[in-house]
Parts: sequence; C-alpha cells; structure tokens
Amino acid sequence: MPHFNLTASVDYFFNFFLMKGVLVTIGLTVAGVVGGLILGMGIALMRMSSNPVLSGFARFYIWFFRGTPLLIQLVVIYSGLPQLGIKFDVITCALVGLILNEAAYLAEIVRSGFMAVSAGQREAAWALSLSRWVTFRRITLPQAFRLMIPPLGNSINSLLKATSLASVISVEEIMRRSDMLMQEHFQILEVYAAATAYYLILTSLWDVVQRRLEKHFGRSSATRSRRANATAPSPQAGLEARA
Amino acid sequence: MATDIDDGQGQPRKGEVPAVRMEAVYKYYGDFTALDEIDLKVASGEKIVICGPSGSGKSTLIRCINHIEKHDQGLIYVNGTELDDQRKNIDAIRRDTGMVFQSFNLFPHMTTLENCILAPMTVNGMTKEEAKDIAMHFLTKVRIPEQAEKFPGQLSGGQQQRVAIARALCMRPKIMLFDEPTSALDPEMVKEVLETMKKLAEEGMTMLCVTHEMGFAREVADRIVFMNEGKIVEQAAPQNFFNHPASERARTFLDQILH
Repeated sequence: MPHFNLTASVDYFFNFFLMKGVLVTIGLTVAGVVGGLILGMGIALMRMSSNPVLSGFARFYIWFFRGTPLLIQLVVIYSGLPQLGIKFDVITCALVGLILNEAAYLAEIVRSGFMAVSAGQREAAWALSLSRWVTFRRITLPQAFRLMIPPLGNSINSLLKATSLASVISVEEIMRRSDMLMQEHFQILEVYAAATAYYLILTSLWDVVQRRLEKHFGRSSATRSRRANATAPSPQAGLEARA
Repeated sequence: MATDIDDGQGQPRKGEVPAVRMEAVYKYYGDFTALDEIDLKVASGEKIVICGPSGSGKSTLIRCINHIEKHDQGLIYVNGTELDDQRKNIDAIRRDTGMVFQSFNLFPHMTTLENCILAPMTVNGMTKEEAKDIAMHFLTKVRIPEQAEKFPGQLSGGQQQRVAIARALCMRPKIMLFDEPTSALDPEMVKEVLETMKKLAEEGMTMLCVTHEMGFAREVADRIVFMNEGKIVEQAAPQNFFNHPASERARTFLDQILH
C-alpha cells in the first residue's frame, strides 16, 4: 500500500545527525568557492599571459579538469593516489578534488570577465599614468567582477549540489548521511525528502545572496539603463557652451 | 610622393625644447606599415590638427606619443624625454600628456568626480580634498560642475567628452592629445566639445588633434598635418592648406570632405 510518513520526514529534517551533514556541505561549498576562486584567478591570469608555457599549462589544466567527471577525479584522488604513495584524509581529498575542478570553471569565468572590459578602459588608465596595479585594482577588476557575478552565481549553485558526489568517497555531508539514515530505517522517500529540502533551502539562500551582490556591484550599470530619461540637464549645459 | 617637412613652423621657438619631436618613426601591424618614416616637430604652445583619410595612421601617430601604442623604429621625444622602454621615461611622458579618446573611455563604475580625482590621488599623491578642489575647478571650466556626482551613463555624449577633457586636465598636462574627440558624438553635441577645446587652445595649451572638423582646424590650428598611407604627405598653415593644397592626394581629400 502506497504511503508517505510526513511526520517521519519532518523528524529527519530536524535530525541532528543530518544537520551536521548540512554543515559539512556548506563547509565544502564555501571552501570550494574560496579555493577555486583563488586558484581560478591564478589559472585565468596564466591563460591570459603572453608567456606560451604559462598559457599552455593553463589551457591544459582547464581542458583536463573540465573534460573529466568530478566523480572520477574524487575517486582517483581518494583511492587511486595512495597507490603512488600520496595519501590524504577524506575531507582533504574532497576539498582538493572540488577546488581543482571548480578552479577550471571559475578560471574561464574570470577570464571572460576581464576580456569583456574594453581595451579603451585600460588605455584611458595608462593615459592618466595610473600604475598597472591601480589600473587592475580600480579599473579592470571592479568592471570584470560585475560581469562575472551572474556566471559565478550559477557555478556556485552547481558546486553546492556537486558536493553530494563527495558522499561516494565517504565524506559525511547531506547525501552520505541521508544514505546512512535510509539504510538504518528504510524510509527512503522520507529521508531523501528531508535532504532535498535542505538542498533547496541552501540554493535559495544563495540566490538571495547573489541578487544582493548583483545589485550592489551593478549600481552604475543600473543607472545606465535609465539614461534616456535622466539626461535632462544636457540641453542647458549645451547652450552655456554655445553662448 | 615626397614628404614635405615645413621645418620653419615646427622649429622650436626661442631655443625651447620642442614639445614633441618624432624622427623617422615607423610602426607596423604585421605586414601593414601604419607609420612610415614620420618626422614631426611640435613647438610648445603649438596647435596641430592631423587629418587624412581613414587608415592613414593619424590615430596611431598620436597614440605612439604617449606609448598607448609602441613604435617599432625611430625616435620620439616628449619635452626632451626620450620615449624608450624605460618605465620611468614612459611614466614621465604620460604625466606630461593628457589624452581624449573618440569613445570617451570614462570609467563607468565611478562618478564624474571619482573619474577626475583617481589619478591626482594615486599618481600625484594628493589628498582627497586637494584632488576634489582641482577636479571641481576643471569641471567648472568645462561647464559641468553640477554633474560631479553623476555616473557617466547618466550624461549625454557631449557631457561625457567634456568630463573626459576635465579628467585629463586634472593631471595638469603640458600637451593634450585628441583622438577624434567629436566623431562619436551626435551632431548637436559636437559644438560644445569644440568650444571647450578652443578655450583650451586660447589658454596656450600645446595640442595635437586628430579630427575631421575642418572649421575647427581653420580657426584654431597653427598647422595642419595631412597624412596618407602612414606618411605625412604635407603640412602647412591652415590658410595655405585649405586654399592651395600642395599634393594631389590632399586636393582629392579636401574635395571629398568639403563637398
């Protein structure tokens, strides 16, 4: 007889054992984003470098990590590398895999952001004798970052869900702990409904954060769309110049 | 076609160091020769208008002066400083020159005022207050002090270009380079930008302008430099250039643009 025990599902949702798994998922995601962004920025800079060795390495890196499944990467790091005498604990394995993989995607996002900033912006900065660092920090980076936020948001959403793959190498995040609960109580739908709810809550929270970021960094582009109505003062200024 | 260098006019006055001196400058893009043996001397205070058909190397010429483009051969001196690969020389030359671009190139994520104070603060080490004073001085001069808190996207094209001029002036350059400053503007906004440039010329600024505004050239220029296929074909006072162009190429060019 078909049945779904809602009370049991709510109980699983408030189960401390599963909640600790949620914290692990959040931790993996945050570490993956931070590590991935730092490494990805480095890979992007190498990819844009005029040095053929650096850009070649970056190309290879991106090709390799985007061209193979994260699942295989995790399994190789966890079970394969010990064969070569390289051994990490399970959390480190998951972090290394997630960061290496995420960096490849973020590198391309970072690079496309920088490439979308027009050359004229850099030229104007040089003409004003701004140093390379100031040009990067004050002119190129803020404009590139604004363009990166939407694809970055998508990538972080994917990463959050991809952390579930770490369950395969026995990291006890949401998925793994759900499996464990399920094997203990055989209430399949009840357990996975609770897990699903957690993923939805986390991705929704991230959506809110992403929208805030876009609003904050998009302040000047938001005003640009209002341009047509907002140029009222120009005729007056024009007349003055003509006088 | 012989390169006709009118040395009489480009010669530095009273033994001054010329503002710009180019000797046998070449610039290549792959197989294409963008600048072909350019010799040019600009005295301090002189106003030069560079004209010629598109692709003749006008923009490349002025972009080489402040090292936005790197020349491949020949010598360039700006106020006596040689433009070579040394960072300190490039920086010194860029501090002496201001540039205004066809597409304005204002920083869209900063307000008008922030656009103007960034370089004075980070390059010249001014305090925010000092930089603001200077910025407001020049924004007043280009007649848009009331737009200081607006973002470039909220301004008209003419206003944006005037902000760009003010931003360049805030670094107190000795030479101003204009790269087709009115080409991207709606017709009714051309005048306000040209008026601003005329005012600057009257104050004695050394100016090199790439422009198709022949009215401006006639009125303001001390000398017209006519380019074709990367070469300086002729240079003369506006009177002479417009009434008696020496080269066939300049005659055809003038026929086409003056209708």
